[in-house]
Amino acid sequence: MNTNLKVKNITKIYPGCVANDNISLGFKSGKIYALLGENGAGKSTLVKILSGVIQPDEGQIILNNKIIKLKSPIDAKKNKIGMVFQHFNLFETLSVFENLIIDSNETRGGLREKIKNIMKKYNFNIDLDIPVLNLSAGQKQKVEIIRCLIRNPEVLIMDEPTSVLTEQETSELFSSLRQFSLEGILIIYITHKLKEVMSLCDEVAVMRKGQLISVSKIVDEKIETLANKMVGQNLKTIKKNISIERSTEKLIKISNLNFSSEDPFETNLENVNFEVNRGECFGIAGISGNGQSELFQVLSGEIISENNSIKLNNYPIGNLNPQQRREYLMAFSPEDRMEQAAIPQMKIFENVALNNFKSSNFFNNGLIDEKKIKEHSQKILSDFSVNTDNVELKSQFLSGGNLQKLIIGRELITSPELLICFNPTWGLDVGAINYIHETLIKINEQKKSIILISTDTDELLKLCDKICVIFKGKLSNIMNVEEVTSEKLGILMGGGEIV
Amino acid sequence: MEVKLFKIVKRDEASKLIFFLTPILAIILTLIFGALIFYFLGFKPLEALKFFFIVPINNVYGFSELFVKATPLCLIAIGLSFCFKSNNWNIGAEGQLIFGGIVSGGVALLFYGQEGFYILPIVILAGAVGGMLFALIPAVLKTYFNTNEILVSLMLVYVSKLILDYLVVGPWSNPEGFNFPETRQFSESARMPTLFEGLRIHAGIFIALTAVIISWFVFYKTYLGFQMKVSGFSLKTAKYAGYKGKTMILLVFMISGACAGLAGVGEITGPIGQLHREISPDYGFTAIIVAFLGRLNPIGIIFASLVVALTYLGAETAQIFMQIPKYTGQVFQGMILFFLLAADYLLFFKIKFLGIKKNEL
Repeated sequence: MNTNLKVKNITKIYPGCVANDNISLGFKSGKIYALLGENGAGKSTLVKILSGVIQPDEGQIILNNKIIKLKSPIDAKKNKIGMVFQHFNLFETLSVFENLIIDSNETRGGLREKIKNIMKKYNFNIDLDIPVLNLSAGQKQKVEIIRCLIRNPEVLIMDEPTSVLTEQETSELFSSLRQFSLEGILIIYITHKLKEVMSLCDEVAVMRKGQLISVSKIVDEKIETLANKMVGQNLKTIKKNISIERSTEKLIKISNLNFSSEDPFETNLENVNFEVNRGECFGIAGISGNGQSELFQVLSGEIISENNSIKLNNYPIGNLNPQQRREYLMAFSPEDRMEQAAIPQMKIFENVALNNFKSSNFFNNGLIDEKKIKEHSQKILSDFSVNTDNVELKSQFLSGGNLQKLIIGRELITSPELLICFNPTWGLDVGAINYIHETLIKINEQKKSIILISTDTDELLKLCDKICVIFKGKLSNIMNVEEVTSEKLGILMGGGEIV
Repeated sequence: MEVKLFKIVKRDEASKLIFFLTPILAIILTLIFGALIFYFLGFKPLEALKFFFIVPINNVYGFSELFVKATPLCLIAIGLSFCFKSNNWNIGAEGQLIFGGIVSGGVALLFYGQEGFYILPIVILAGAVGGMLFALIPAVLKTYFNTNEILVSLMLVYVSKLILDYLVVGPWSNPEGFNFPETRQFSESARMPTLFEGLRIHAGIFIALTAVIISWFVFYKTYLGFQMKVSGFSLKTAKYAGYKGKTMILLVFMISGACAGLAGVGEITGPIGQLHREISPDYGFTAIIVAFLGRLNPIGIIFASLVVALTYLGAETAQIFMQIPKYTGQVFQGMILFFLLAADYLLFFKIKFLGIKKNEL
């Protein structure tokens, strides 16, 4: 196959943001192309345009010297463009084979034969007749890939494919992709992970804030040069000064904590044990979906547990709800900013009132004290340098970074002894990430403690004193940060053991 | 060659003005399509609309009737807005109204032939408690057994209707009533006083207005109202903030049931004066339309209840003068809700006119 794909002057504008600004790029078969950029750089928009999910405001797509119009994903399929999204589009309760036959015109027998051949050729090993929910993330992704291969694609687009994979699964994926490339399939690989680009791809296009920054050959690039192009500024590295004399005063102790859910899509927690001392940052690493969300909810009190399984200052709090736990000077910053930590449709001061504890006096005798809440909000906005001073502004007009500052500020301005946060910098720009990281370090310096649940290994290594890994609802051994490396974490995240 | 005249764009923020204009747009569209329906049925559209919307209220009696019909609608819709604002879908106000009617009617019958100023307050209270208890059933089942409140509250409507049926045919039927399915007329002390001689408008309207004021205060000035607002936007956030979700579900259902029960009291002790099979022309269901047409806003609900009450009156007038079936009233109510839901699209999207532009291939 000799495929060439071009995009010419593609522009896509969303209200308040230019997602793609006049992007022109060319791809040829036989190579693996990387599309690199931070969250929000416009990669996904471009890819959605290429796969027909959205239409560009302006610009053309040219496949093999012919202009093609992609008005829907079906058009993309017809033009032999296959796409594997970051979030799988599979029916969890249907079998693998049922998932594959849904959008296929072939007979059951014919399709099964075809799938078997594909699996044999690429050494995939998946039972076609078990429900998809029993598959690992890597296997689910293979099902998505098979779905594309059935149609003999000329172009295969992978959107952030490794975000849910283990190291082992990632290397399997890479060897499959190389094999596809050798057979003449044009591969476009979207990611924000630099190491993957360096080890897998031949050429790299970097995007930033909707614009194409550079196109270059991998051999001419280094991780540092790509990183600088990606973020557009020299990365300031903050490193926490690890305190030499650590406090040994215990603040919170989790012992024999179990949670079993009735929902098959949730992860059960099994015999979780750990302690956090004053002034310490305790990190919990892991690939998302291994029980982090459940653990956060149990710690915050959204899920009640056995009373003695959580003790704060030796006082059992397992069956208190979040509001009651706040009275014991705990604070929480959940993962989902827009749907849980804050309500975008409500004003800033209303969102501040969500963190209500007795001494704040936001609500006296059941009545709202708007004046008090607004004063308090004003203080948060200025103390945590949120980019507005209008407490009446609806929160949806804050950028992700400013919203997160507001939330962290709301949680911290009450001077809690323990802050529990879950992916606090997810999806934020570098400036906001630095601000949040500096803030978290400052809390530790004030002898307050943090439990940081994060899927970002670098963040954990930077901020934590102790780290453990959560895998399938179980915690690994707890390690001091000095003895931890990202390789070790990688092994543990994949369910391996360290001797 | 492709010609695009306009495109649909997502709004940055739901516009406040549009928020209150869409109900009016919905009403205008309803009138236009109502006229079309009349036309195709072979009536003169303008004349039909006149009989529907103007003739019923062109005299004092008509005006009084408008308030008679609007009172229960307003009261129930106020109650429902407590539920709807907090993400609880109570569809069974009709059942709660009927059950409130049954309990208060029972109490009124207990006092049959007696007089005293204390009787009416007891009857009213009984109705509120009856509706409240009946609304507690779906609430308790939801909080403790995870049932779906939409289904349970809806099905309970038929339960209460059958109970009423049984009572008025069986044990409570009027001994001197020639086996008609109705109870005795309540004594004068158990009747809601009328406001003007010769008109049916009664003191129930004050209950409705009190409910409006209290609900406005609760929604916008109290912690409970704030919690309802948060729960309405996101139950996840409410849980994270630590609000007692179960208590709130029980509370809003009780408030809502009490309001519906009071509406039932107003009907049977006001215009009707006894229990019979049809104490409510589906006020409980129609009030859902009123609540949404009024944007769950107490003042909005007052206006919405008047508009919808007019469709009840209009249907009766049109039946009398033009022999149009009175169910046309329900058609109008349905259209209002339909167009309102459709117009809500404009809350989140706007139409951008591009002018004529040729896209080259």
